[in-house]
Amino acid sequence: MSDNKESSNIESSVEKIKKASDGLRGTIEKSLENEITGAIAEDDTAVVKFHGMYQQDDRDRREERAAKKLDRLYSFMIRLRLPGGFMTSDQWIATHDIAGENSTGVIKITTRQTLQLHGVIKANVRPTIQAFSKAKLDSIATCGDINRNVVCTSHPRESPIHKEVFDYADKISTMLMPKTRAYYEVWLDDEKIADKKDEEDPLYLDKYLPRKFKIGLAIPPNNDVDVLANDLGLIAIIENNELKGFNIAVGGGLSTTHGNPDTYARLGTVIGFTDTEEKTLKAVYEVLTVQRDFGNRSDRKLARLKYTVDKLGVDRFREELEKRIGFKLGEPASYSFTHRKDLYGWQKNHEGLWYYTLLVENGRVLDDEKSSTKTAMLMIAKTGKASFRFTSNQNLIVSDVKEEDKAAVEEILATYGVIKLTEESSNVRKNSIACVALPTCPLALAEGQRYLPSLISKIEPILEKYELGQEDIIIRMTGCPNGCARPYNAEVGFVGTAPGRYNLHLGGDNQGLRLNKIYKESLDESAILTELDYLFGIFHEEKMADESFGDFSRRKSWVK
Amino acid sequence: MLAGPKLQTLLQLVKLASKEELIWINGYISGLISQDDSAVTGTGGSATPVAAPKGKFTIAYGTETGNSKRLAVDFAGKAKKAGINAKLVSLDQYRLNDLPKEEFFLAVISTQGEGEPPAAAKKFYDHIHQNGFKLDKMKYAVLALGDTSYPLYCKAGEDVDTQLDRLGGERIIDLQRCDVDYEEEADTWFHNVLNKLGDPDSNAVQPGAAQIRVPASTKKSTGRKVYNGTILTNINLNDRDSAKETYHIEIAAEDLDYKPGDSIGILPYNHLPVAEAIVSLTGVDREKSIEHRTGKHSVFNLLQKKLNIAYLPERVVKQYSGIVKQEIPETKIGLLDLLKIYPVQDSQQFEEVISILEPITPRLYSISSSPEAHSGEVHITVAKDFFTINEETKYGLCSDHLSLLPIDCEVEFYVHKNSEFRLPSEEKDVIMIGPGTGIAPFRSFLAERDSIGASGRNWLFFGEQHFASDFLYQTEMQNWVETGVLTRLNVAFSRDQQQKIYVQHKMLKHGAEFFSWLESGAYVYICGKKEPMSADVELAVLQIIMQHGNRTEDQAIHYFEKLKEQGRFLKDTY
Ligand code: SRM
Ligand SMILES: Cc1cc2nc3c(=O)[nH]c(=O)nc-3n(C[C@H](O)[C@H](O)[C@H](O)COP(=O)(O)OP(=O)(O)OC[C@H]3O[C@@H](n4cnc5c(N)ncnc54)[C@H](O)[C@@H]3O)c2cc1C
Ligand SMILES: Cc1cc2nc3c(=O)[nH]c(=O)nc-3n(C[C@H](O)[C@H](O)[C@H](O)COP(=O)(O)O)c2cc1C
Ligand code: SF4
Repeated sequence: MSDNKESSNIESSVEKIKKASDGLRGTIEKSLENEITGAIAEDDTAVVKFHGMYQQDDRDRREERAAKKLDRLYSFMIRLRLPGGFMTSDQWIATHDIAGENSTGVIKITTRQTLQLHGVIKANVRPTIQAFSKAKLDSIATCGDINRNVVCTSHPRESPIHKEVFDYADKISTMLMPKTRAYYEVWLDDEKIADKKDEEDPLYLDKYLPRKFKIGLAIPPNNDVDVLANDLGLIAIIENNELKGFNIAVGGGLSTTHGNPDTYARLGTVIGFTDTEEKTLKAVYEVLTVQRDFGNRSDRKLARLKYTVDKLGVDRFREELEKRIGFKLGEPASYSFTHRKDLYGWQKNHEGLWYYTLLVENGRVLDDEKSSTKTAMLMIAKTGKASFRFTSNQNLIVSDVKEEDKAAVEEILATYGVIKLTEESSNVRKNSIACVALPTCPLALAEGQRYLPSLISKIEPILEKYELGQEDIIIRMTGCPNGCARPYNAEVGFVGTAPGRYNLHLGGDNQGLRLNKIYKESLDESAILTELDYLFGIFHEEKMADESFGDFSRRKSWVK
Repeated sequence: MLAGPKLQTLLQLVKLASKEELIWINGYISGLISQDDSAVTGTGGSATPVAAPKGKFTIAYGTETGNSKRLAVDFAGKAKKAGINAKLVSLDQYRLNDLPKEEFFLAVISTQGEGEPPAAAKKFYDHIHQNGFKLDKMKYAVLALGDTSYPLYCKAGEDVDTQLDRLGGERIIDLQRCDVDYEEEADTWFHNVLNKLGDPDSNAVQPGAAQIRVPASTKKSTGRKVYNGTILTNINLNDRDSAKETYHIEIAAEDLDYKPGDSIGILPYNHLPVAEAIVSLTGVDREKSIEHRTGKHSVFNLLQKKLNIAYLPERVVKQYSGIVKQEIPETKIGLLDLLKIYPVQDSQQFEEVISILEPITPRLYSISSSPEAHSGEVHITVAKDFFTINEETKYGLCSDHLSLLPIDCEVEFYVHKNSEFRLPSEEKDVIMIGPGTGIAPFRSFLAERDSIGASGRNWLFFGEQHFASDFLYQTEMQNWVETGVLTRLNVAFSRDQQQKIYVQHKMLKHGAEFFSWLESGAYVYICGKKEPMSADVELAVLQIIMQHGNRTEDQAIHYFEKLKEQGRFLKDTY
């Protein structure tokens, strides 16, 4: 086994920080006391990620503040842990209030079904975490080299067994939480743990994983979670409304790095099937230990599970896993995904509960000229007549509404312009997502969510011109090649390379089962629009009946 | 002073001479002095040996920025040489009960604020303004330091002179007022005092006295070097969403001469439109040149550049009502408003008004640069002054003017020395408390200590409203913390949380450490707004001494007083 480990190579600095962090405590307490800077000690920035927060600064303001002899405008982004993306109305109210008091006020729905608050200054981090805790919400392990928020197909309408699968998300998330009490000590003022033995962690030990780890559960036929983009994907296998078990897919991951040929996007490989809950959970657990022991700990660019799988080879990987779980994985069952789109508008599930999926452009819940979504959600939450679900497409589902309450909820949705926005927005807008990028994301090379909406407005007329308005073309944009909005399995992907410039990717399919490829590099807006006009023109002329744009691009071999 | 062979000869002569001869010599020499002042002052004003007056002889000084002290110390030295055993004392250390016992009492006192005594002389000043005691033993003389560019020239000195007289003291010699170039006159004055003492009924000094009695205000002040600077940088240090505007202004100037702790003085001009409005309102001839205590100038020049028209003090408003013969409630007000509400009859009458107007007073700004670190430049840190008159936001004349100065534009200023606010020797520890613009001189201190590599420790307390937008010089301070120049930096931001937090709270929080610094000889400096900061800070220091030095209140006060005596507790507040 050791010959497979990167023991020869020197460990990356982050590895050292993790081990020296005294159970993820680092010097956070001291960093919080330092009153002359809004930042925390450099090593601590790596540690707080495990507590669900990132140190950031407003990149728009750097130069101006430097001239004023002011330090960077540091603040923290806090990401909640919401397995399967679910929240009660009380929790939504709490989040609304916390966002207003301690952050920019915008509630951001992420591409992994959870919520982020931005702009929380150092002094407000503790109060924020404590307020969340009162609402039974936490941000444990939503960032860092550890299992992240577990995603699950969001819409209960999808299947009667949705609840069953959804519960798995919660079980898995809980099973894979770190054992350290650091989060409670540092942020919730719990008393210091007396005997460190009580928090020994058989899964993560003191080194945690080599890299972030992501798990997703999908209920066919909807692949809204992009299950194969996860390190570990579980595909529910259903026969006449019964959950038979899960196909297990490993090695998904989308990120690449400009100019680093060793990095690549990869879709998960289905390596087997588990039929019981016990077996499934065991398999999940041991996939993590294999990654823990075999993953690359010297080069973080090559540390995700996808590289471990390819390094070992799929068969060798399966063997190692079966050795650890003590049973053979079953033969993968057949399944089929037909789409990734959210079910907008009103939907009813098998129990007769109602669900309204609304468009939240790029997941930013706020009040603007288009609609007062934030106020609407607060009003609905206050009625206590609905719960809240978030989708991997950054949208929101007003959920579990009883027949008799539907009218009241609809009334609010209508009053604040939510229904109008959702119904009148074009298909292409409803199928598009973008990552956060500027001004908060330190890795952004180009704009993301601040720019895509205006670009879509310029693409819409082109689609209209070619009578393609009804097509469900999936467009995704990110400000850098990390792929936070999963542009690599979109039909049209924009990957930022520099301010105002994007690589244009084509050829992904509509279900997220095929990666796209670079069609043209570093295009500016006018070049993008010219290209799309040209491509949609041909699509309009030559498309076959219900042929998606992604498939068409392949057939035309615009990308090899 | 008089030493070696000179002294020998003199003593020889004195030894041989008879009493009458001595009196004659004395008269003769003072005659010489009165005829040709330079005969004395030329040689640095050597003190004439006189028949030393028997009895208590005290030289007391009240100073803010050290000038009066410097003179008093020099006088004391000369007195000793003249065989007088003079007791030198600062007025804040002076035991008021001793006053009635005084026989010879010389006061050297400056004027501050708006015609007020220096803070250190306040107790004494108030005391002599009460009655209930007599000073009939006392022979006294007062030397008043001042600045003709302030309306109430040498006011404090004048008051002391009159009060001592009222209380029955006997004036040895007339009050001497001194402008910023005070050395010569001061010297002559003291010289004549000694003569008077030596020969009470000698008239010899009279001519001399007469000569120096000419009010300094009429002669052009030569003592002040005016610099012609060029703006290099002018940036607002506060971030966008701040309630404050604080400008960091860098000015280049030739052969600058200043020390950390000094300030610069600037004379702002009035707003053109206001001056224009006044001219058209009164129909006065703008070109007509008028003789004014500030000199001979055209009316418009006076209105725009010389006279305070922005905000007239009550006393001027009072005179105004006299001129226009109208009842005007006692108030401060701008001249334009005054003219609108209580118009003058004609331009004739307005010219009368001009004659009562006072000069624009200089505005001082602590220097925030160090000669060592920023040679050829002075930096200042200017808070734009806001105030509202019936819902309308107005800006302070000078700070507004400065905040708008573009790069490369010229600005005139002078250096206002403050020898009472100086860094100690380089190995000593320093605690600096400077909220708001109070940080200015401490930026100078730190830059200076940094560039000379001073070994003493430095601790700064800074405070403002908000951390994110109001942390003046944040990155510079952070660097000084990293390089170790700042041993400690504690900040208080009052409005980032429910309960207000100010510098004094941070001092108390770190009281134990603060006291241990005091014990190891640290010097404490306070700079910034007088109200309400400086009182609260002094209280905090007292509390710290009581709590961490476990002392009773009285002991603490005593400890505190010691600090002040040792010059280890220094203030520059405004
Ligand atoms: C908020 C979110 C995008 C959004 O608009 O919704 C996001 C935002 C960020 N991602 Fe991501 N990622 C988000 C989903 C993704 C996804 C999509 C997914 O998981 O389905 C990916 C691609 C899939 C994958 O992991 O391969 C993704 C791949 C990355 C990477 C590249 C990881 C790698 O393997 O190299 C980074 C950079 C890194 O980790 O070094 C990254 C880093 C970041 C950071 C934290 C930047 C940083 O490291 O400082 C971004 C914070 C920006 C901000 O100000 O909020 N994010 N990130 C998504 C939050 C998901 C969640 O709730 O946990
Ligand atoms: C030793 C010393 C050091 C100093 N150091 C600094 C420093 O480092 N930085 C700094 O910013 N300041 C410093 N100051 C203060 C500075 O000298 C000025 O007092 C300050 O800038 C305000 O001057 P101004 O001309 O802008 O305002 P002014 O025009 O003098 O107005 C001052 C106040 O007068 C009142 N006022 C004026 N006109 C009117 C009107 N028409 N109607 C009603 N009210 C009116 C208002 O209350 C106003 O706030 C220092 C002062 C001293 C004595
Ligand atoms: C804030 C301030 C206000 C002053 N106000 C007056 C004044 O009203 N009248 C005056 O004659 N001089 C005034 N002066 C000038 C001082 O009296 C003069 O600088 C004197 O030399 C200071 O002596 P000191 O160092 O002993 O205090 C003022 C100086 C300062 C710094
Ligand atoms: S894709 Fe890049 S720019 Fe966008 S959020 Fe992720 S890391 Fe930031």
